[in-house]
Amino acid sequence: MAQDTLEQLLIDRQRHIAAGATTPLPTQYPVNQLAAALHPETQYLKITKVVTHDATARSFYLAPDPTKGTQHLAYFQAGQYLSVRITIDGSVVTRPYAIRSAPQSALNDEYILTIKRVPQGFVTPYIFNHWRVGTTVTASAPMGTLTINPLRDQSHIVAIAGGSGITPFYAMASAILDGTEDADLTILYGSRDHHHILLGDELNAISTQTDRVHLVNVLSDEDYPGYETGFITADVIRRHLPAGPVSVFICGPDALYQFAQKELTAFNLPAGRIRHELSGNYGDPRQAPDYPDSPANASVQTFRLTVSVRGQTQTIPARADESVLTAMERAGIHAPSACRSGECGVCRARVVSGQLFVPNQDDHRRLADKTYGYVHTCLAFPLSDCELDVPVHALANQFG
Amino acid sequence: MKTDYDVIVIGAGNGGLAAAVTAAKLNHKVLLVERHNLPGGAATSFTRGRFEFEPSLHELAGYGPQDNPGNIRQFFDWAGIDVQFHAVPDAYRMINTGKDKLDIRMPTGIQNFMTTLIQAVPGSQASVQAFFKIAIENAQVFAQLSAHPEALDPATLATQHPLFAKYGHQPYQRVLQALDMPAKAQEILLAYWCYIGIPSDEFEFAYFASMLVSYVTYSAYIPQNRSHEISSALVQALQANGGTAWFNTEVTQLLTAEGAVVGVQIGDRKLYAHEVIADLLPDTVYSHLLPAEMVPTTELKKANARELGTSGFLVYLGLNRSATELGIHDYSTFIARDWDTRHQFAGMHQLHGNDFMIMNCLNVANPTCSPAGTSILYATQLFFGDSWDQVRPQDYPHLKTQLARDVITRYEQATGVHIQDSIEEIEVATPVTFARYLRAPEGDIYGYYGQPWDQMVARSLTAAQEDEPLPHLHFCGGAGHMLDGYSSAYASGQFAARQASHNLQKEVL
Repeated sequence: MAQDTLEQLLIDRQRHIAAGATTPLPTQYPVNQLAAALHPETQYLKITKVVTHDATARSFYLAPDPTKGTQHLAYFQAGQYLSVRITIDGSVVTRPYAIRSAPQSALNDEYILTIKRVPQGFVTPYIFNHWRVGTTVTASAPMGTLTINPLRDQSHIVAIAGGSGITPFYAMASAILDGTEDADLTILYGSRDHHHILLGDELNAISTQTDRVHLVNVLSDEDYPGYETGFITADVIRRHLPAGPVSVFICGPDALYQFAQKELTAFNLPAGRIRHELSGNYGDPRQAPDYPDSPANASVQTFRLTVSVRGQTQTIPARADESVLTAMERAGIHAPSACRSGECGVCRARVVSGQLFVPNQDDHRRLADKTYGYVHTCLAFPLSDCELDVPVHALANQFG
Repeated sequence: MKTDYDVIVIGAGNGGLAAAVTAAKLNHKVLLVERHNLPGGAATSFTRGRFEFEPSLHELAGYGPQDNPGNIRQFFDWAGIDVQFHAVPDAYRMINTGKDKLDIRMPTGIQNFMTTLIQAVPGSQASVQAFFKIAIENAQVFAQLSAHPEALDPATLATQHPLFAKYGHQPYQRVLQALDMPAKAQEILLAYWCYIGIPSDEFEFAYFASMLVSYVTYSAYIPQNRSHEISSALVQALQANGGTAWFNTEVTQLLTAEGAVVGVQIGDRKLYAHEVIADLLPDTVYSHLLPAEMVPTTELKKANARELGTSGFLVYLGLNRSATELGIHDYSTFIARDWDTRHQFAGMHQLHGNDFMIMNCLNVANPTCSPAGTSILYATQLFFGDSWDQVRPQDYPHLKTQLARDVITRYEQATGVHIQDSIEEIEVATPVTFARYLRAPEGDIYGYYGQPWDQMVARSLTAAQEDEPLPHLHFCGGAGHMLDGYSSAYASGQFAARQASHNLQKEVL
C-alpha cells in the first residue's frame, strides 16, 4: 500500500514495473470486437437472390462476402439504412438504402434492399442494369436514427410513407411481428394506384398475422375499394389515428415530408413526436426559402472547386445546383458520405475559401462547425469558386 | 536524415491537440493525424434534432476566472483560443438514497463550502479546517506538477512542501481519518472521486484534495458550444501556427531506425519526423504500431503491470421543457444508494446493480445551450469495459434501453423531478460506443487505472525519466502524468510537446 516517503513511492513504482509480465500484450478486446461487429468500417456483401416486384422495383438479397473479409453481417435496428458505395463511369457515389428485412435476418446473414428505379436517376438505372446474383456490393455499417426508442417514442407509431420510403417501415412491421420490437404500427402508405404498391402484398401478409400492424393504402391517382384516395391529408390521418398518444415517423421524398408536416400541424403534437428521414432526397437548393437572391432565369453557374486531400490538391467543376459532394463524386474523388441529407456528419469538410449555401432547414451541423468554417458536403452548394480540405479516408482496421 | 515534419502527433484527442498546438506555437513544423473525422476524441459533440449534446465534459478544471487564471486558461490564452466559457454555479448536489439518507447542495467558494459542510455535520469544524489547510498547499504543488512535472523531485518537495511530502501520496481516506473527520463529512467531500475512478482507500490525497480545491475555489467551467468548440478552436490554432491536421487518417505503424522512432506509416506513404508524440495508450502502440522485438522489455513489463481504466455509460436527453419548468436547479447531481466508494467501485464491474450515477443539466450553467423551452440533461455512470464483454450484438439495443430507463427512473426517484414525459431526443453511449469512436482497449476513457504506484505523484515525479521509451517517442493523453480528464490531457500534451521541442533544440545546437 502507500509508502511513507516519496522516495519509497518511486522505489515501489520501479518494483511493480520490474515485476510486470513479459507476455505479449493482447491485440483483441471483447468490447472492441463487439463494436466492430456492430459498426464495421465496411461490409463486403454479395447478392444471393434478386426478386423483381414489377418493372420499377426489385429486391436484392445480400450475404456477407468472406473472400473480402466480411464473415457476418452487422446486426441493426429496424429503420436503419446501409450506405452503398458504387463506382459508375469513374464517379464514386454512395446511396443510403433502408434495410427492408427484419433485424433477425441479419443474424442469419441476410439483408434485403428493395430499390425503386428512378427513370432519370444516375444510380438506380445502373443498379437495375448491373446487379445480378453474384455481384459484390460494398456498404457501410447500418446507420440512421429513424428507429423506435421506447424511452422517447409513444408505444403506437404512425408511419407516413411514400414510394420506397416504405422500406424502413416494412422492417419495423417485420420486427413487431417477430417480437423484436414492442410497439403498434399504423402505416399510411401513399402510392399512385393499386397496381403500383411496392411490397403491398408482403405488407398485407404481415398485417393479417398480427393485430399490431395496420396498413392504410392511400392512392393518389385512383379510387379503389377499401383504399383512401388522394394525398395523406390531415383528414386521412385523423380517420386512422389510433386512440392515445402516438409518434409519427415520415419517410419518403422531400415533397411528401413537407406536405405531411403541414398536415400534421393540426394535431399539435409535442416536439419530438414527429420524426423523419430524408434518405438522401434533398431537392434543388435554389428552391430553399433562404437561397440567396439571384437574377430571374439565370442559368445554373458552374464554379471551380479546389479539393485538398492530405496536402494534394485538384480543381474540378462544381454546379451551383448540385452539392459539392456530387461534384467530387463526378470527379472520381472518394469523398466520405453516408446519409446524404445533411444529418450524419460523415461528409464534414473544412472550407478553406469561398462561399457555400447550406439550407437552414436541413442544417444539422454542430454549432462550432458553423463558426469555424466546416460544411457537410452533401448539403453544401457553391456560391463562388471554393477550396475545401476533404478528409478522404486512409484507414486500416487497427483492432480488426 | 531528411524529415517531412519536426513533430508528428498521432491522435487528436485532448492530449494530442494540446501537443500539436504547443509544438506549433514553439515554431516547429507539425502534422497532427487523427483516425476519426472529428478532433477531440471524447471532447466533441453530436446533434439529434434541435439539440447538440456534450458527450463527456462535466467540469473543466484549471481554467479559473480571468483575474486568477489557472493553467488551462493560461494555455488557451497563449494558444489564442477564443471560446466563451461559463462558470458552473455550484459545486454539486449529493444524494444518498440508501439507509444513510442524505441530500445536500455544496456551493463554490471555500468559505461557503466549509460553512455548509460544518453546518451539515456538527463537530466537523476542526477537521474540515485542517483538511483545507493541507488541501490548499497540496493543490499548489499539484498545479506545479501538472504544468512542469520535470521541475520537482522528492528532496525538493520534502523541504519546500512538507505537507505535500507527508500527505500527498497517502490515500485520502487515511488522511481524513487521521484528521478525525466525522464519517458524514468524509462522505460529503468525496463526490469527485468518480472523476478519477480510484476508491478512497487508494486514491492519493493530493489529487483528490486538489480537485476539490480547484473546483470549489476557482469554479469549474464549460464552453458555450460543447467541447467540440474547444477542439475546433485548437485545430484552428494549430493551422494558424503553420501546422497541419489530417482526419480520417490512420497511422498503421511507427517507422524506426537504429532503435529510434523516425516517422509513421500512413497507407503507402512513409512520413518522417524528428519527434513522434502518441496520444494513444502505450498498450496500443506496443501491440499494433511496433513489431514486438522493438518494444523495450521494461515497457512491456510496465504495460503488463498496469491496468486499464474505466469506461462510461451515458444517457443524453433533449427535453421539450425548460429546466425551470421541470424544477431542475442543479448542474451536477451525484446519486448513489451507498457512498462507500468500494461499493460504488464494485458496481462498475457488473452490468446490473451499478447504482452510482451523476446527472448534469447543461442549461443550469449554460442557459442558451438549447432552444428556449427545452433543456439538455445527461446521466453518467462508470463501467469497466469487461462488464460488457459478454454482450451479444442482438442484445445490445435492448440492454441500452433497459439501463437508460433504470438511470432515468433512479434520478426521478432521488430528486422528485419527472422527466420521462418530456423526452424529445435520447441517445445512449456505452463502452462499446467509446471503443468504436476512441478505439481504446475495452472502451477505456480513463487511461490506465491509478494503482497506488501509478497515480499522479509517482507518474509526475518520473515523467521526465520515463519519457522516450524509444528515442524520439513521447506519450500524452489519459496515460499521461495527470491521469484522465480534460485538464490532465491538455497538461500532458503540453509536457510531451516541450520534451519534443527540447530534443529539437538540441538537434539545432
